[in-house]
Amino acid sequence: MSNIQLKAPLTINWAINNSCNFACSHCYSREDTNDELPRDLLYSCIEKVAKAGVFSINFGGGEPLLRPDLLDIAAFSSALGLRVSMNSNGWLIDSEKAEALKKAGFTKVGISIDSHLPDVHDNFRGVAGSHVRALAALGYLKEAGITTSISTVICRINSSTIDDLVAMALAHGVGQLNFHNFKCSGLGMANKDDLDLTPEEWKVFYRDAIAAKRTVKDLDISLDDPIIALLDARDAGTLVKGSVCGKLSLNIKANGDMTPCGFIPIVIGNIVSDDLHQVWKDSVVLEKMRNKEPTGKCSGCSKYEDCLGGCTARALALTGDMNSPDPHCWGSDAQ
Amino acid sequence: MSRIFRNPDVLWRRESEISEGVPDEGDVAAILFSGGSMLSINEFGLELWELCDGRTVDEIVTTLLAEYDVTEDLLRSDILEFMENLSQKGFIRYE
Repeated sequence: MSNIQLKAPLTINWAINNSCNFACSHCYSREDTNDELPRDLLYSCIEKVAKAGVFSINFGGGEPLLRPDLLDIAAFSSALGLRVSMNSNGWLIDSEKAEALKKAGFTKVGISIDSHLPDVHDNFRGVAGSHVRALAALGYLKEAGITTSISTVICRINSSTIDDLVAMALAHGVGQLNFHNFKCSGLGMANKDDLDLTPEEWKVFYRDAIAAKRTVKDLDISLDDPIIALLDARDAGTLVKGSVCGKLSLNIKANGDMTPCGFIPIVIGNIVSDDLHQVWKDSVVLEKMRNKEPTGKCSGCSKYEDCLGGCTARALALTGDMNSPDPHCWGSDAQ
Repeated sequence: MSRIFRNPDVLWRRESEISEGVPDEGDVAAILFSGGSMLSINEFGLELWELCDGRTVDEIVTTLLAEYDVTEDLLRSDILEFMENLSQKGFIRYE
């Protein structure tokens, strides 16, 4: 099952703009181009994606709500049968906007919240009052009938506050709490010494997060990091081993450039000019990600079959080699 | 007897074209996807999935018995096992 090759991605993570009203310490796209596809061209690209068999688009940015035609784009996508979701900082979502998002076809909206403590979140995101508005956005979205989630990038400011983050999620009625692993991309790379955890600290975090996932009711705690295979905790419901990037999902940037994921800055084509099926099938980069070879401590590790070296983006960012062991990995049982 | 319906929230697509030869049991014919849950199914699974349109298990057995050279008990057992898997994932509902 680990070698399943789909005919097209299941999900596209689509950064439709790069403008943002926040100044986050770990932003992966601050230095990306501000070129955006005009709406009509974007529509033709979305048609291509739908025709290829993609199930869903998750809009991101930048802050996607800063794109004035977001609602039209979502409604267009939705009318093609695509399931539409979004990640947002929540600042621009009030009751009226939440209703409009629902009407445009959004089924799920994730709000980024990095701490249960307002001051910590606001400082990290660079905007005073952002925590209050993010929580309020969750309420408006829920009232409008949109499924909500909280996305938290795990780093030094929050790794020991799992219980508090869970309590916050439960108190605001979200269906899912996503703990995203910290990536060394963009400002995440520049600030990694202040923000990233040591491998041993990652082990402690994941041990505690897995325990919470197994005990907390009424909340889906999602851990998208392949290295939790070391704790025998990989999601049995997924179709692939290791990272899902380039196997189940693909990233498209605001200018149409396609990359394996939002954190791997290797352009493998452009959705405007290239055929999605062909890029998905023939990209040398994707082929390499789908057929990683164990190196270093991964060689001989009994968990390799499940984790496949962990997060490719992290390995590439910190070592220059996709096949390198994930720098967050705390151990190997290789003899 | 309960009738079986596909959950309309489940997105699904054929992965491979229908070939003239006999498909390998392990070949992925289609992908079912709902939220974070997904399932790959072979040609037989896809045939079953497409029959989850309000039929009962008995009706599905009767439909497929004419097509497959297999005992009714074995066919019924395979169908029930498949439906149990779909039901656990929330991909079908019984009415």
